[in-house]
Amino acid sequence: MSSRRTETGGGRIDRSRPVRFTFDGVSYSGYAGDTLASALLANGVSLFGRSFKYHRPRGVLSAGVDEPNALVTILRGEVRNPNIPATMVEIHDGLVAESQNRFPSLAWDVGAVNQLVGKLLSAGFYYKTFMGPVVGPLRGTRFWMFCEHFIRRAAGLGRAGRMPDTARYEHVNAFCDVLVVGSGPAGLSAAKAAASQGGRVILADLDARLGGSANWSDETIDGVPAAEWAAAQVKDLKSRGNVRLLPRTNVWGYYDGNTMVAVERVSEHKERPNKGEPRHRQWKIRAGTVVLATGALERPLVFPGNDRPGVMLADAARRYANEFGVLPGEKIAVFTNNDSAYGAALALKKAGAAVVAIVDVRPDVSPEMRDLAGETEAELLAGHAVTATEGGKALSGIKVQRFDMQGGSLSGAERILAVDCLLVSGGWSPVIHLASQAGAKAEWNDSLQAFLPPKPAQKWVGAGAFNGSFSTAAAIVEGHAAGIAASGGTAAPLEPPSVEATPCRPEPAPVLEIGASGKSFVDYQHDVTAEDVRLAHREGFVSVEHLKRYTTLGMATDQGKTSNVPGLAIMAAALGKPIPEVGTTRFRPPYAGVSIGSIAGSRYGDLKPERLTPMHDWHVAQGATMQPAGLWWRPQIYGHPGETVEQAYVRETKATRGAAGIVDVSTLGKIAVQGPDSAEFLDRIYTNTFSTLPVGKARYGLMLREDGIAFDDGTTWRLGEQDFLMTTTTANAGKVLQHLEYYLDVVWPELKVTVTSVTDQWAGAAIGGPRAREILAACVTGTAVDNAALPFMGIVHGEIAGVPVMICRLSFSGEMAFEVYCGADWGTHVWEALMEAGKPFGLVPYGLEALGAMRIEKGHVTGAEIDGRTTACDLHLDWMLSKKKPFVGSAMMNREGLTAPDRLQLVGLVSLDNRPLNGGAHIVEQVDDKNPRNSLGHVTAVCYSPSLGKYIGLALVMGGKSRHGTRAFVSDPLRGRFGPVEIVSHHFFDPEGSRMHG
Amino acid sequence: MLITCPYCGPRDVSEFTYQGDGNRQRPAPATKDLGAWNEYVYDRINPAGDHNEIWQHSSGCRMHIHVVRNTLTHEITDTRPARGGHPASRHHGAKS
Amino acid sequence: MASTRKAGQSAGVSAVARLSALAPVYRPGSHGNFEHGIGVALSEVVPTSIVQLAAWSGKEKKLIGIIGSVMGLALPDATGGGAVEGARAAFGVAPGKFLVSDDRDDLASIFAEAMEPDTGTVTDLSHGRTVIRIEGPEVEWIMAKFFALDFSLPAFPVGAGRSTAHHDIFAQIQRTAAEQFDIYVFRSFARSFWTALCRSCEEVGYEVQ
Repeated sequence: MSSRRTETGGGRIDRSRPVRFTFDGVSYSGYAGDTLASALLANGVSLFGRSFKYHRPRGVLSAGVDEPNALVTILRGEVRNPNIPATMVEIHDGLVAESQNRFPSLAWDVGAVNQLVGKLLSAGFYYKTFMGPVVGPLRGTRFWMFCEHFIRRAAGLGRAGRMPDTARYEHVNAFCDVLVVGSGPAGLSAAKAAASQGGRVILADLDARLGGSANWSDETIDGVPAAEWAAAQVKDLKSRGNVRLLPRTNVWGYYDGNTMVAVERVSEHKERPNKGEPRHRQWKIRAGTVVLATGALERPLVFPGNDRPGVMLADAARRYANEFGVLPGEKIAVFTNNDSAYGAALALKKAGAAVVAIVDVRPDVSPEMRDLAGETEAELLAGHAVTATEGGKALSGIKVQRFDMQGGSLSGAERILAVDCLLVSGGWSPVIHLASQAGAKAEWNDSLQAFLPPKPAQKWVGAGAFNGSFSTAAAIVEGHAAGIAASGGTAAPLEPPSVEATPCRPEPAPVLEIGASGKSFVDYQHDVTAEDVRLAHREGFVSVEHLKRYTTLGMATDQGKTSNVPGLAIMAAALGKPIPEVGTTRFRPPYAGVSIGSIAGSRYGDLKPERLTPMHDWHVAQGATMQPAGLWWRPQIYGHPGETVEQAYVRETKATRGAAGIVDVSTLGKIAVQGPDSAEFLDRIYTNTFSTLPVGKARYGLMLREDGIAFDDGTTWRLGEQDFLMTTTTANAGKVLQHLEYYLDVVWPELKVTVTSVTDQWAGAAIGGPRAREILAACVTGTAVDNAALPFMGIVHGEIAGVPVMICRLSFSGEMAFEVYCGADWGTHVWEALMEAGKPFGLVPYGLEALGAMRIEKGHVTGAEIDGRTTACDLHLDWMLSKKKPFVGSAMMNREGLTAPDRLQLVGLVSLDNRPLNGGAHIVEQVDDKNPRNSLGHVTAVCYSPSLGKYIGLALVMGGKSRHGTRAFVSDPLRGRFGPVEIVSHHFFDPEGSRMHG
Repeated sequence: MLITCPYCGPRDVSEFTYQGDGNRQRPAPATKDLGAWNEYVYDRINPAGDHNEIWQHSSGCRMHIHVVRNTLTHEITDTRPARGGHPASRHHGAKS
Repeated sequence: MASTRKAGQSAGVSAVARLSALAPVYRPGSHGNFEHGIGVALSEVVPTSIVQLAAWSGKEKKLIGIIGSVMGLALPDATGGGAVEGARAAFGVAPGKFLVSDDRDDLASIFAEAMEPDTGTVTDLSHGRTVIRIEGPEVEWIMAKFFALDFSLPAFPVGAGRSTAHHDIFAQIQRTAAEQFDIYVFRSFARSFWTALCRSCEEVGYEVQ
């Protein structure tokens, strides 16, 4: 392959720093500053990938983010990053890139056979072939299920890897007065003007090199080459303390309140990131005002064979020549509907290419353009069009015919021109994506044949080509004005700089398609042809939104940057309507591809922080199996070697019921309720009364929601006349606090009550069992713990091992039990003292499994039963509903539906086949495993009961108590578990509570 | 979206929790009028336009806030502490 | 009345050493990309007492006065208004609510004595919050990775406080010097937060003191 690198030129590359990389396993070299696209072009590579549907060979169309064809997969070790435009990849030593959608190789691709059956793959192919009932052997949803594997393999883009992404991603927040998006002449001018007003300015650009089109235009600004002018502006901005420059940054989302989201490619252009450096950094920028200086994208023309490798956007070719010193072809032709391509042709001529012809659809070309054509020594074919391209994996020639712009007809003899590169230009589309995201509809401008930005719906100002102002001088003037306006300043308009440029009138001819036979591509990436758009119209699609979905036009990873306007023009012509009546779709984030990692940021793995109790390290050191409970980590079991989970919790339960057990209850929600109206407040919140609770006592409380459904339960301790310590279930701690705050802020602001989360202030250990009191007596000082000093629900203050503790006698396990609370930093100290004191009495630590088994044996309810559907009556907690006072939920809890006799109510279950039960299984009167139906309710909690020697469970069952003593069946078709159970009272164990009352 | 907390200033919406329609009035606690309770618990006017809402600055000062938000544009035209009372009479979207 | 209030919500005083939530993950030394300099230094501040004070509506100024006399700190009456001097710190976290921290034993009881019930409430959080200090030239950059707040000095002056969150982790932050912030997080989250903080500091090089 011949080198296409020019002898000189290429302001971006550093010829003193060669870079080695591989593409599809072949080693190439380029220079520092090259993109993968420029480096491969320089090496004479023309074939970059295979197309989505037809597997047609594709080259590189553009030089930037709009690239639809040259998508590659970048490999870092085993980690694959697919679908990255080669035009956006900066090469570095060791870069490994692969082409996509080809098998077995890019040059020899089996899928290319799809080109022969192209008619079968037209718009709506999937809908027509694979949806709906079977009407033939090769139709219908079942056929799809058969074909899916093969189609998914054949059609599509890059393959995602199976290895976890090892790169680092992170988020960062930023605040500024002015965010300038785009660093071309308009953006640089805006940033400088805004910075001069003293505010904080951020300037972001997708590209690694700031300066935008100034870096490759052939213009001079104020007497110096534009690229030098841009470099000087950048240097000036860098020197200012109030400016942050963000190159390699894709500002991809414009959200409410001028919240802008951007991804910075921090380190992927390096062979190895610095320590701690992320691959991508997601910026959330709150900008006072945004300056949109996002420029414009050139559009291709739609004609047969317009996707052949070697067909390239005119300005992209200019950029390769001027910025990278790469000639995309040696014998080139130009095909255009506007003036801008003439300048590109001249640039390529100057860089050393031969310009064979300039084919212009316009019959009348201005004298200035004729002069430019003369300067390039090209044949000017005005009033002509390209009707076909020739060649295989690279362009070898084009066919040209006389073209009538008015009627769109072709006439005269076909001429064949031998060229290896065709530059196309269909005019320019301002990049209005962010403005469109910000709200309001784009406005069609007929003379520019383009959508222009809408009136701002948020605080932004536009400048330059974004506004449809395509000259550099205008961009600089508008940028300056935008920068001042965005800063809220006033200043005289900037004197226009002197810009030397090739002449160019911006208005293109209103021709975007040449109607000749052959596949003419509109959306290159999704292989949507002009004929597909017309077919959609013939099949009755009228709305542009439907057209888009039916043909998938503009829905590929490039989001139709090059295809939207040509597609609309074809649709409009088919409908016989002007483009503004057809309308355009609203742009949505992201503007350009965003890595999933950058969205996750540093939230990876299980995506959440770990909440640890004060005794966490002790549990781990004792070999506890830790288990997540919400964000918390709690011991599941303290297993002995060789024990199953069931064996462990049965042992722990037996030890507790036989002697004593201790469990970490620090995770229980704890809320300090303080102030003179605390008791009154609790009376209103709880179903039962707390104002009568004496200081030094605790009471079990139940809360309902306003609609009368049970919400949460727990004990609340009265520590002082105006001081309560409320406990909640672990899972509901946050919700209960919010519930209390809502009533204090919104409903009863007159109550003097403060509520504060003190969950983390206290370490809690529940110690229960027949020997529990003896253990406490052995280690507690400063207070007695006998029945007189510490009756059921009593509270005492004392010390354990020199640490102040609060002890409340209450029981979840059903045993004589005590909750011992101390300052969290002393939690492990007190826990260890309790363990030490308990040694002679056989104290064991137990985990969530044993806790669960003991609560099931006692029939205590938890979140599995307080599930947002059950009432206090359903749970047999109606004894807690005060009749003497209103409380939250009291007005609505007795509604008809909430008191109906067929409601699901809490019962106990005993397995009659001595096999474990499953949570979630249904309860039925008759088992029918073929046709499971007629559920009476469901199982909420299960365990092996060491006390009963049986598998038991809790369930919510229609009829509740009335079914006690009857037989039913569990029906669990998903897990294939069917079997007989007896429905019993939920109080399995010690229903009189004699053990806990001692 | 940014919400201006009367105490903390403008903060990202992710710091806030939506706490329901700000137009509803809780009946007197002892009222047995189920119609009134039904209206309070279930009825919402769901306007297309300015809406009185209650938000809590749950990842901030934890204050509840009356917010007037346009449900079509997300524009927020007023925020004030919920403790200041019910703003319904001052805004569109109030029950008529 | 004061004595029952005092007994109420305080973890009390003991000679027994307190165990930091960070103990197993607190690794003094230089870490990350420190060869090019230390961007920030991290440490755990261990005040003996952390107390939340809340004033009833209309009593805010009175409470600010009490804080002034107990702490010797003059708080500006502004959103998040705070002051810091040595180990003594106080700042606003919510309307009428303040966090104060100090190296005196049982500050909660001292405030409970100094405050009438009709002024407001005193809640001991000495064990419930872990205070992480981050300081150094890159401090604003690191803070911006965690919190959606404007950490520039004009927007967040020395002494001032802010309540915010990093995802699920609630945080109350005081700027205790131009290049120094103290972050109060729930004790149970402290280790997770510390680990994430260390990781984010690697880029700039950090030192654990």
